[in-house]
Amino acid sequence: MALANGEIDKLVSLERGEIDRRIYSDPAIFELEMERIFARAWLFLCHESQIPEPGDFFQSVMGRDNILVVRQKDRSIKAMLNTCAHRGNAVCRAEEGNARSFLCTYHGWSYGIDGRLNGVPGHGTFYNGQLDKSRHGLAQVAQVANYKGFIFGTHDASAPPLEEYLGATGRLGLDLIAMRGDMEVVPGIQKFVIECNWKIAVDNLFDWYHPQITHASAFESNVLPRVGERRDGGKIDMSDVNMQSGANLELAAGGIIGSKFETVVVLGEYGHAIGGPSTSSSGYFELFPEWRDTPQAKAALGPVGINVAGHPNLFPTTWVTTGQQISLRIPREPGRTEIWWFTLVDRNMPRESRDILISFANRIFGAAGLLEQDDGENWAQATAQTRGVASRRMKHLLGMGLGRGRIKKEGGLSRIEGLTSEYAQLWTYHSWAQWMKGLPWDELKNATTPGDCM
Amino acid sequence: MPNDNEARSSDSRIAAMLRDREVERFYYDEAALLDAHRYEEWLALFADDAHYFMPIRRTRTQRELDKEFTRPGEMAFFDDTREQLAARVAKLKTGRAWAEDPPSRTRHLITNVRVIRDDGRTLEVECNFHLYRTRLHSEETSWIGSRRDVLRRAGESFQIADRKIFLEQTVLLSRNLSNFF
Ligand code: FES
Ligand SMILES: [Fe+2]
Repeated sequence: MALANGEIDKLVSLERGEIDRRIYSDPAIFELEMERIFARAWLFLCHESQIPEPGDFFQSVMGRDNILVVRQKDRSIKAMLNTCAHRGNAVCRAEEGNARSFLCTYHGWSYGIDGRLNGVPGHGTFYNGQLDKSRHGLAQVAQVANYKGFIFGTHDASAPPLEEYLGATGRLGLDLIAMRGDMEVVPGIQKFVIECNWKIAVDNLFDWYHPQITHASAFESNVLPRVGERRDGGKIDMSDVNMQSGANLELAAGGIIGSKFETVVVLGEYGHAIGGPSTSSSGYFELFPEWRDTPQAKAALGPVGINVAGHPNLFPTTWVTTGQQISLRIPREPGRTEIWWFTLVDRNMPRESRDILISFANRIFGAAGLLEQDDGENWAQATAQTRGVASRRMKHLLGMGLGRGRIKKEGGLSRIEGLTSEYAQLWTYHSWAQWMKGLPWDELKNATTPGDCM
Repeated sequence: MPNDNEARSSDSRIAAMLRDREVERFYYDEAALLDAHRYEEWLALFADDAHYFMPIRRTRTQRELDKEFTRPGEMAFFDDTREQLAARVAKLKTGRAWAEDPPSRTRHLITNVRVIRDDGRTLEVECNFHLYRTRLHSEETSWIGSRRDVLRRAGESFQIADRKIFLEQTVLLSRNLSNFF
């Protein structure tokens, strides 16, 4: 089933900005992704604030492995596979909670919150005391690490350390939330299912070309809260948009797209990327932007990063939003992706501001989100049209701005400035192809190091 | 001949039955508005200070079932004031709400209506619902759950002052919630 590397190279053309539609629906490609991406990459599991007390657990996912992330008695955090060492039953069925131990309900093996096998019914009588309990605990995730409260795991013991894996781009992506204060996750992780390929969902987070049309109805109907001048957003006038011809679509407000919509795209090693407005762009929007003026934020983000206000994706599937949320895209099948929304707020923020943030998050994204409702429709249909033999012969086009993107390197970041483009998406696909070849880590890093132009 | 007490109690039972019937009728009319996509008329059933809330539900052990649903102030699928509900209705009216254009086909079935409390001015009412939806060629969604409403008497009818919607799902098994419950 393994695809030859030459075959993989044909699926993504960085030069032409073209993607073979097979990558969205071919089951063999999906299986290879499970091995070569999801069993190797550092994946976001949860935030430490979700499991404050010893025994607190949150059930997460790495590829198709179910993972228990558990706070330990010494306050450290462990992540282990939720599968019994005896004959594989899940040892925990709740999504989250607090446990004193994990009891397998099949034959009764019981594990400590650290995963150690403590009890085996009939250990003396049936096993004659010969089963070595120390060898049959819950399997620990190969590496677990915490970046400013964000917990990640990788199945690959030889993967570079998390901070190195994230690199300047990934760290900036997380700092764009982490540096807003003493962050905690608001209870309630929204989870829902979209019948789309995970890459179409990831591609879309960088896409600043779609909001004016996809989200036209939301922009017309007062979705954004009005709290002060700079944050008003409010209603965008769509009256001059001729929906029939669709040609020369330019919003009067010029907000979300148009000639004043300056963007900065950051391209990182291993496929991390950030795409969207800069803080001086007409499209810059943040409910509470004051955090950017703090010395800690300036120091952590650096002179380039402090002006980045777009959407980071930590390769492969962790989107950090400007609305202080993390949206995880969990591949279940080639045409089925689970979306998980984590919402973060500063513990010290005034109640009123906290409420505004939560209300905004609840209404904009998520299944009922005034924006996201209409996204799912596109992703599902775009995925469905990759299955027809004739439709599949057509490529996905990611050529916007291609060949004109000058890459500036500064402060460890590679960036392209300009108007709306498709560089970040294309970079993600290019990196995807390098991952899919199963390259050793150093070669993978080289193959995903940006050049001078794109 | 029934004595006075018996007559009184049978009067109050008849009154309660009539009231229950009115509440049911109110819900059936509401469901008919939604299924006919008459959203503005539907919105008019809500009081100005109404709260419309669908919490997130989580699979938890029996021991922690009190933490199954999120609460106001936490994350939710819906947590709307009436003004925010109005924005949703306005969105549907733009002609560019693609998730509902072509519109989904829905049927709201309302059952098991029970008046839990009635102080003369406000009623607390629980009911079960089945919202069946199909969309486009083959998308099919079935949501079953319960609602807990606070209804205010308003002339001959009622106003919805508070609605809590509890779905029998944790991971939402659909791509969006572009309909009302
Ligand atoms: S499978 Fe867990 S005890 Fe047998
Ligand atoms: Fe979108």
